Amino acid sequence: MNAMSATLAVLVPLLPFLASAGGLLTGRSAPALARPLAVLPTLASAALAIALAVRLGPGGTLDGGTRLTPTGSVPIELSLHVDGFAALIAVLVGVVACCVQVYSTSYLREDPRYASYAALVSLFTAAMLLVVYSGDLIVLLVGWEVMGICSYFLVGHHWETEDARAASIKAFLVTKLGDVPFLFGLFLLGADAGSFRITDVLHAAADGRLHHPTLIALLLLCGVAGKSAQFPLHTWLPDAMAGPTPVSALIHAATMVAAGIYLVARLLPVFLLSGAALVVLAVMAAVTMVGSAVCALAQDDIKRVLAYSTVGQLGYMAGALAAGNRDAAVFHLITHGAFKALLFLSAGVVIHAAHTNSITAMARMPGLRTKVPDAFWTMTLGLLALAGIPPFSGFFSKESVLTAAEHAATGETHGVPEFAGWLVLVAGLVTALLTAAYATRLWLVAFWPRTAADRAAADPAEETGGAPAREADPHAHAHADAHPAEPAAMRRPLWLLAIPTIALGVTGLRADWLPAWFDGVSLRPSWTTAVLGTCVALLGAAGCWLAWRRAVAGAVQAPAGTAALPDETPADLAIAPGGPALPETELPGLPAPDPAPLLLGPLLAPAARGLGVDRLYDRCVVRPVTAAASLVRFLDREVVEGYVQGAGWLPRALGWLTRRAQNGNPQSYVSALLAGSVLVVLLVAVIAR
Amino acid sequence: MHLAYPTVLSVLLFCVGLYGVLARRNAVLVLMSVELMLNAVNLDLVAFDAWLHDTLHAGQALTLFTITVAAAEIGLGLAIVLMVFRARGTADVDRLRDLADDGAAAHTDTMAPPTDNQPARPDGRATAA
Amino acid sequence: MNAVLIALLALPLAGALATLSPRLLDGDRALRFGVAVTGAELALAIALAAGFDYHHAARMQAVTDADWIPAIGVRFHLGTDGVSLPLLVLTALLTFLCALYSLRNLPAGPGRPGPRAFTGLLLLLECGMLATFATLDLLLFFVAFEVVLVPMYFLIARWGGENRGRAAFRFILYTMLGSALMLLGFLLIGLHAGTFDITTLAARHGAGIPHTTQVLAVLSIGLGLAVKAPMFPLHSWLPDAHTAAPTVGSVLLAGVLLKMGTYGFVRILLPAAPDGMAAFAPYLGAFAVAGILYGSLACLALARRGAGGDLKRLIAFSSVGHMGFVLLGIATLSPTGVNGALYANIGHGLITGLLFFLVGAVKDRYGSSDLDRLAGRTGAALYGRAPRLGALLGFGAVASLGLPGLAGFWGELLAMLGSFHPAAGLSRSTFLVFMVLAGLGTVLTAAYLLTVVRRVCMGDPAEPAPALAERGGVLADVRGYEFASWTPLVVLTVLAGLWPAAILGLSNPAVKALLGAG
Repeated sequence: MNAMSATLAVLVPLLPFLASAGGLLTGRSAPALARPLAVLPTLASAALAIALAVRLGPGGTLDGGTRLTPTGSVPIELSLHVDGFAALIAVLVGVVACCVQVYSTSYLREDPRYASYAALVSLFTAAMLLVVYSGDLIVLLVGWEVMGICSYFLVGHHWETEDARAASIKAFLVTKLGDVPFLFGLFLLGADAGSFRITDVLHAAADGRLHHPTLIALLLLCGVAGKSAQFPLHTWLPDAMAGPTPVSALIHAATMVAAGIYLVARLLPVFLLSGAALVVLAVMAAVTMVGSAVCALAQDDIKRVLAYSTVGQLGYMAGALAAGNRDAAVFHLITHGAFKALLFLSAGVVIHAAHTNSITAMARMPGLRTKVPDAFWTMTLGLLALAGIPPFSGFFSKESVLTAAEHAATGETHGVPEFAGWLVLVAGLVTALLTAAYATRLWLVAFWPRTAADRAAADPAEETGGAPAREADPHAHAHADAHPAEPAAMRRPLWLLAIPTIALGVTGLRADWLPAWFDGVSLRPSWTTAVLGTCVALLGAAGCWLAWRRAVAGAVQAPAGTAALPDETPADLAIAPGGPALPETELPGLPAPDPAPLLLGPLLAPAARGLGVDRLYDRCVVRPVTAAASLVRFLDREVVEGYVQGAGWLPRALGWLTRRAQNGNPQSYVSALLAGSVLVVLLVAVIAR
Repeated sequence: MHLAYPTVLSVLLFCVGLYGVLARRNAVLVLMSVELMLNAVNLDLVAFDAWLHDTLHAGQALTLFTITVAAAEIGLGLAIVLMVFRARGTADVDRLRDLADDGAAAHTDTMAPPTDNQPARPDGRATAA
Repeated sequence: MNAVLIALLALPLAGALATLSPRLLDGDRALRFGVAVTGAELALAIALAAGFDYHHAARMQAVTDADWIPAIGVRFHLGTDGVSLPLLVLTALLTFLCALYSLRNLPAGPGRPGPRAFTGLLLLLECGMLATFATLDLLLFFVAFEVVLVPMYFLIARWGGENRGRAAFRFILYTMLGSALMLLGFLLIGLHAGTFDITTLAARHGAGIPHTTQVLAVLSIGLGLAVKAPMFPLHSWLPDAHTAAPTVGSVLLAGVLLKMGTYGFVRILLPAAPDGMAAFAPYLGAFAVAGILYGSLACLALARRGAGGDLKRLIAFSSVGHMGFVLLGIATLSPTGVNGALYANIGHGLITGLLFFLVGAVKDRYGSSDLDRLAGRTGAALYGRAPRLGALLGFGAVASLGLPGLAGFWGELLAMLGSFHPAAGLSRSTFLVFMVLAGLGTVLTAAYLLTVVRRVCMGDPAEPAPALAERGGVLADVRGYEFASWTPLVVLTVLAGLWPAAILGLSNPAVKALLGAG
């Protein structure tokens, strides 16, 4: 029984790892194998993860391991620890990875580097599953960092473009910066608990053997902030959108960024020992939530909106953890994984059809909705879930977070300071407002174009506006049939992911459904927060809609330097064109129908640039390091080299001095000889005494 | 007579010879002073031999050796001085400085291996590996 | 077993002697002979590893103990334990791969001697390197240490690139100065303890040697080993030597010679003069950490656009950084730290050996290793122009920055873990500071390595590459012989990363024995 589960648990990360090894080795020599090697092992792995989850059942756990290596002090073990959290998150990872692999077979159909891409996605999947299933902290770190490097390679997939080159290195370095204190936290944890095994660490926490819980928690939070893109280490995530869209869906929405949240959830008993750490986490979450929502409201690139949205939603999960409730956090993690992946994948289809990332450019393309109807509908569903409108999954999970915060704020949660609860609650509500606002903005601006000519006419005119444009390009039409804007391989994952987006939320209602897999804490939203949350979301949506109407009416002047006209085709499509571009109805001089300037006012420009955090990093980190590097170069060339040259100078000088004695005159030599002999005689005479 | 007389005389002769070796400029005079030093040593040897009543007469035997060696040496030395005088026109010791090491001629990289792209130089100066 | 060890040392010596006869081995035959001998060496080393008793890794095995110079008490004492066995195998492997690589890629031309001399020097070098790791007598260790210098000098001075004369000269003088100091230290210890035998000294753990003598001995021997390691600030011979050396010379210099210094610390100083080491450990740690940061910052300066940095120089400085981790591990005087140091030794040997091979290949193809000339405006785009080469370079960079799952990680992890909890008697707070700085060093390492990847592997392939155009515009991807030389390193890097117990299981009992009961 146990051996079978253990075998399943070992196979789940192992299969994608073998697939990636195979893909990397045979990518060039056997390109036909690339697609099966990408999809089939991931499918198998997902199936096995589901099987394991079913086998374990709610409340079941699996533990086991063997020693990986002695170290001289605390040994490192290769162990498994699978409980309800791990089992469900593994299922999420498996399903999303499958969807992404299938989607990529079509999205990257003409990409010459598809094989290495798919292999790296498989490697990433294996690493994430290792993180989820691992029972030893150092082995978890291995998976953690391997995910980071896969993210680096995948974000840099389009290395021909400067954006991808810069974004990939930024992503890796920012997360690595957080990983160093994280490692120190693990050291402290391992030293105090005497073992790196998670079960031992949790026992030590329960027994009170951890002597520095605040320090440990703060150090671990650094790594979590880096990996889960929380303030102040969140700046890499928006830039990482330079990678292909399926990568964003997998890595930067559903899995890697969730790893930090998963770790805190896993080690929550350690965090609960320190109120100060929870307050810090709450502050971090609050700042992240509100700040990212404001930034999302100002972005023009559809992927950047979703990226900032991810940052914000991760802030929600962090907030739930700060309120001491990991069930709510993981609930939101799973639903967010589903609907954010859905949003990214549908955004990919939309980008492909529109040939641009910019929503204001899409605002000039009538007929986008009819060209990619499936993407439009699934995107709508995803945005509804994101905004937290009942009865979609996002509503339930967001409400559970707010309920948890409410419990903490009223002092009902043991070990959690009330301040943390209040902070998360208030920030959560504000963010809910802003989230609904930017979700509505995205939907309206991208999918409901208004031109000056159509403004007066009603909706039917839009059909005629679109149709002639299509007829005018018969080649495009034929081309569109041969390469539909929404091939099946792209559509099916969308609808697959739409199911949990709609339905998953309901599973939190009954205590013997989802909560049984977790700690058993109720995931039902309380009435106050439910009503408050929904009202706030509707308020945000309504406010945005009003602002949009005014913008469409031409009353808004977009200030310079913000989202204006679209620029070059995004990197995604540089190699694989998919279908003809939609004709734009050019109306020179008319500003983009973007409600953001109206909503944000003077905040628009800074929000579009990420509220200045990047500049702060440049001043505080990049410039000093560059200066130090120049200093070292100078030191090496002048100072250290100077010492070496000086060491050579001394013998040369001594030699010169000695050579001066060789003057060619034998009489001086003999004089020296005489002097020496006299000296020796004297010495002998003195010593003999 | 007392040992002191020949000993002091030989010391005085030796010092005079020493002065001559160190201070005279003419090579012939230097050689003459070397002879003086050698003869002073001879005198000392004979004096001590007599005073110590040595049965083997080691001192006197050594004196004979010294006289022979001095004769050979002065013959060679004078021949060299003569040839130098014929070649250079001077027998001034101060001017015969060919064995001097003038710092300017010695280049700093005498010990360095041959520079890049050049084979080892065959002249005597380069002591490269 | 001891016959295998003796054969391991005698075979390359015999091979080197055989290359003296011009009729026997001429031209390419000499190179093939070299491959054959080094291949046999590798087989012998693997046989040694196979015959090793893994359950008693702390015990000296394959021991030969014979009288050599009774007058001064020097014995011909050979042996191997868990510490030296991986190093022996690494040395044999790297030399074999170098011989294989040189079969098709030996720098030739006016002023460069023929393959016969090359093979002879390579075999002599191998003998010296193996002897260093196999001997258990102080003076024999010194002899082996010095034997290595002469062939390496000639490898650099005759087959190297620009500035080879000066670089080789500096290399040999600098290291010899260190060795002279080391010899003084050896004599000090040997005369005070009455024996030059390493195992006897190790068993005594410094008993019988007064504290001041130990301190003096550690100072002089340590300085000598530190020059070899190389420890900041005694590192400046390394960048010049690497830049000027031929590919094979760089690989062996970085892959093996640097290990000899740190091996000396573990084998000789740690067991024989523990008090002295305890006195100097904080300083060693400080210099080690300074080396980590200094090396990383120097690399960052070289990798920047417009700096005109040389790739080989950059990797040389990265070696200074990596060996800083090794020295930090040793400075902690704890089993964890020393385990980490020994592991990092092997990891660095594999990874940096691979990196130098790759950079040498890039230099051959482009004619220059100047980063600015390679990268042009956007980057050399090696991923596109020579995908396999680019991928291998990316792999090498990722391994070098210490990615978990590859060989570089465990050494750095354990060195930092050792620094977190150093031996009793050392100041914990000092070492915690060292640990934090070392952690910072890993971020800087990642920064410069990924910058190099960005400038060399990535880039816009549509942009013309001026350096390439001069050589006909064609960039060859990885060739057969290169593949053969590099694949074992790649495979071993991955294996060592996934299965650290292969090395740590060997070194752990031996290290515990060397550090004494504590």
